[in-house]
Amino acid sequence: MSDDAVLLNDELWERLLELTGGDVALCYQCGECTAACPWGMVREKGLPVRLVLRQAQLGIENTGAELWLCTTCGLCQATCPRGVDIPAVFRALRQLAWEQNRVEKGLPSMLWSLYWNSNPWSQPPSTRSAWAGNLNLETFDPARHEVLLYVGCTSSYNRRAQKIARALVTLLQKAGVSFGYLGDDEPCCGESALSIGNQPYFEEIAAHTSQVFIEKGITRLMTISPHCYDVFKNHYQEVPPGWQPLHYTQYLAELVDQDRLVFPHPLDFQVTYQDPCYLGRLNEEYEAPRRILKALPGIELVEMTDNRQAGLCCGGGGGRMWLETPASERFAELRVAQALNTGADHLVTACPFCLSCLEDSASALSRALPVLDIAELAVQAIGERS
Amino acid sequence: MTEPRIVVCVKVVPKPEEVRVDPQTRLLERANARAEINPPDMNALEMALTLKDRLSGTVEILSMGPPYFEPVLRVGLGMGADHIHLLSDRAFGGADTLATTYTLAHGIERLRSVDIVLCGEESSDGATGQVPQGLAEWLNWPQLTLVTELEIDMERHVARGQRSIKGGYEILEVPLPCVVSVKTASNEPRFMDFRLKAQAASPGRMKVWDAAALKTDVNHTGLAGSPTRVSGLASAASRERKRERLTGTSEEIIKALIEVIRNSVM
Amino acid sequence: MVDSLIHPHEAKPEIWVYLEHEGGNLQTVSLEILGKGRQLADEMGWPLCGLLLGEHVVHLAAQVFEHGADRAWVVEHPLLGSFTIDAYAAATFQTVMKGKPSVLLFGATPDGRDLAARLAVRLRTGLNADCTDLRIKRESGVLVSEVSGFGGGVLALIEMPDHRPQMATVRPGVFPVPGSMPGSQGETISVRVDLSPQMIKTRIIERHTSSTIDLTRVPVLVAGGRGVGPDFTDLEQLAHLLGGDVGATRPPVDAGYIERERQVGQTGVGCSPELAICCGISGAFHFVVGIEKAETVIAINSDPEAPIFDYADYCVVGDIHKVLPDLVQALQAARELTHD
Repeated sequence: MSDDAVLLNDELWERLLELTGGDVALCYQCGECTAACPWGMVREKGLPVRLVLRQAQLGIENTGAELWLCTTCGLCQATCPRGVDIPAVFRALRQLAWEQNRVEKGLPSMLWSLYWNSNPWSQPPSTRSAWAGNLNLETFDPARHEVLLYVGCTSSYNRRAQKIARALVTLLQKAGVSFGYLGDDEPCCGESALSIGNQPYFEEIAAHTSQVFIEKGITRLMTISPHCYDVFKNHYQEVPPGWQPLHYTQYLAELVDQDRLVFPHPLDFQVTYQDPCYLGRLNEEYEAPRRILKALPGIELVEMTDNRQAGLCCGGGGGRMWLETPASERFAELRVAQALNTGADHLVTACPFCLSCLEDSASALSRALPVLDIAELAVQAIGERS
Repeated sequence: MTEPRIVVCVKVVPKPEEVRVDPQTRLLERANARAEINPPDMNALEMALTLKDRLSGTVEILSMGPPYFEPVLRVGLGMGADHIHLLSDRAFGGADTLATTYTLAHGIERLRSVDIVLCGEESSDGATGQVPQGLAEWLNWPQLTLVTELEIDMERHVARGQRSIKGGYEILEVPLPCVVSVKTASNEPRFMDFRLKAQAASPGRMKVWDAAALKTDVNHTGLAGSPTRVSGLASAASRERKRERLTGTSEEIIKALIEVIRNSVM
Repeated sequence: MVDSLIHPHEAKPEIWVYLEHEGGNLQTVSLEILGKGRQLADEMGWPLCGLLLGEHVVHLAAQVFEHGADRAWVVEHPLLGSFTIDAYAAATFQTVMKGKPSVLLFGATPDGRDLAARLAVRLRTGLNADCTDLRIKRESGVLVSEVSGFGGGVLALIEMPDHRPQMATVRPGVFPVPGSMPGSQGETISVRVDLSPQMIKTRIIERHTSSTIDLTRVPVLVAGGRGVGPDFTDLEQLAHLLGGDVGATRPPVDAGYIERERQVGQTGVGCSPELAICCGISGAFHFVVGIEKAETVIAINSDPEAPIFDYADYCVVGDIHKVLPDLVQALQAARELTHD
């Protein structure tokens, strides 16, 4: 056998077909995916998506580092003429890598934290609701509350993201919404396990979490993170009857439309908006956040070159939040540059991962570009400090 | 070439931040704390499984504690360990390191023909870091401690390890059988493989040994075999950060900083 | 109950300190324990003895006396030239069985912990690990050791009334180094031990010191962020003075100002120092998870709103390029004062 001969593995091919529901077979190798992938903008070689798909079709084992680059932003899928769910193919390949214990350093530790701490951030479960401090939030009761505020792990523990949670609470209280939360008992949604391809563990978490929701009589909830929203909406098998997961921007937009949430305090900003991939491209919610922005007096929205369907990922999805990316390869650097080009004085988004990545890159700029979550901006427009 | 038979000592511990000292009774409240595998023992387990990946053989978990530790220990089976031995008897309760190592050593002797015993560097609850060495002493085996890398040569029947010492490391070789302590955080424990996890529930994978089965001497186990007594308990100063601003002239601030540095390290 | 080999009635009212040495000098931790041992010995009216093992170590006895010991038990043997647990445990055991001290203390160093743990089982006695304080009850001569557990959240007092020697390892850095008293004299007791090459199971293949970066166990972490700029010299100086090492957040690592191995946090290393000094660090969540286990955190940042102040015990709003040099200078001055 010559050195460049490769082993074709029928069994692997069949497993991949099974794991992706046959999607990988649809690919006819046009290469639109590789061209669309944002990695091409930051790395000379980009991420060879087409090649990864080809190898998958042939049953060639792929355990290379590129498997873990994919942020599951879905830009490739959006351009694919065959409609292949390419992020799902990456997740399936990652699942096979998990089975062989060949995964990126740092990811097993993240899953262990999910296992022992019920959050991926290695934080004590007993302090999950510490962010709510003296807000006097009520524990969800289906008889009294119209909606559950599902905070999520990042907004529970990351002090920067906690500010989103507190801003959102202020808005909901202002609008007179009767809502509850789950305090320290809030279970993790499991998205971080899913996006790095550990499907079996995700399913275990999802089964447990939906059981909690069913027991507590939860049907309508809003999440802070689009990542939680996405798995609740698209990846949970067993859901309570009448299940209606929402992203908080959708909920707030509803309140705005119903005039329950009004913004009397005019601001004077020009803002540009980052579409979080998991809200926009993956769930086609482009308008709710923009409707809120439009309702804020004195706020002018200017769009970046890549927006809505073409929105550029912050780099934090697909498990990348737990992996190191060299400074020169961060999508957020490009995104922040695009934001500056609009002339906007604020960059707003609606996802704790986007906030974290963009703020990190913005803080390296010479010109100040504050990065805010929409909830934080909205709080300013009701005349209160978040 | 024969394949190694590896035993990993695993302790189930309460999550440290959930343990409190009752200010009234001065007793440790750990009943409501979540349990986990002692994190340093996860590093020992990972090192054992890496050896098994390379050399085949078996990895067995040895633990001491009440029967309700079982589901936590089964996590190790999900990672790839083959079997669990739980030493469980009321007579073993209240053991300090002398009694613990005596009991564990009996367990290892009862298993027979073990080539190597791996332990975590220390436990997150007691944090004595004495079990590996004490175990080696009871067994009269050589020891390799604070190891970050380990090789076994079954042909020459030796273990070679890299031991952390002040400012560096040394490479040591000892004959098998031996006891090894694995330096905390020297590797990243693999996550459970869900195909293994499904099998991990099988009752045949775990054996419980009581004092009679181990043939331990009641004078050497549990409280009776423990020379040390806890005579007082207190919660340490709160781990909440103080967030105290040091203000004043720059001289005053430097003085205050030096005071803080003195109190914390000098 | 299991009896110790040395019965409480036959134990001598003496405090022994196992002494580690390197390059012809006693290690700092050994001096610290001699200092504490002297205080305990004075309170009890007991003699304080140092235990010295090695190939040629008798000349170190002078240092032992200068730091407060009344006697030095000196054990010299060719097989004690470098530390192996086999030879050192055997030699220490034989010496302890000769001298039968009531209290036997070690530094909680890698070698000290190994030796003490093995010896305690051999002597069938207890061992209090990593103690942060010690006292002896005057009426009973019982040693009371303060130890911490559960990640430092719980303090316990531990004693062993019926076993001798009462052994403990002492955490480095908790007791001050005593001033030396040049010219102090004491009694040197040379001990002959029975060691043979067959007893040595451990083969030392090679030994490397210095050069490895390991922030996980460093006692003092001086960490720098974007605010430091390209030059980490001030931080290095401060770390050196405090016996610590330098870490960093992501931006200085990204910029190539410092090695990737020094990155602290979610995608770097987690540290558990006694003290972390955060310089010019804003306090991103990715970084702060790496210093959560620090005992005490000092933060210095010119931005009074910096999130790092939420994660610190002591906060200084100021320019690190001014605060750090001042601090280094003041520490140096203070050190010279104590050495005079």
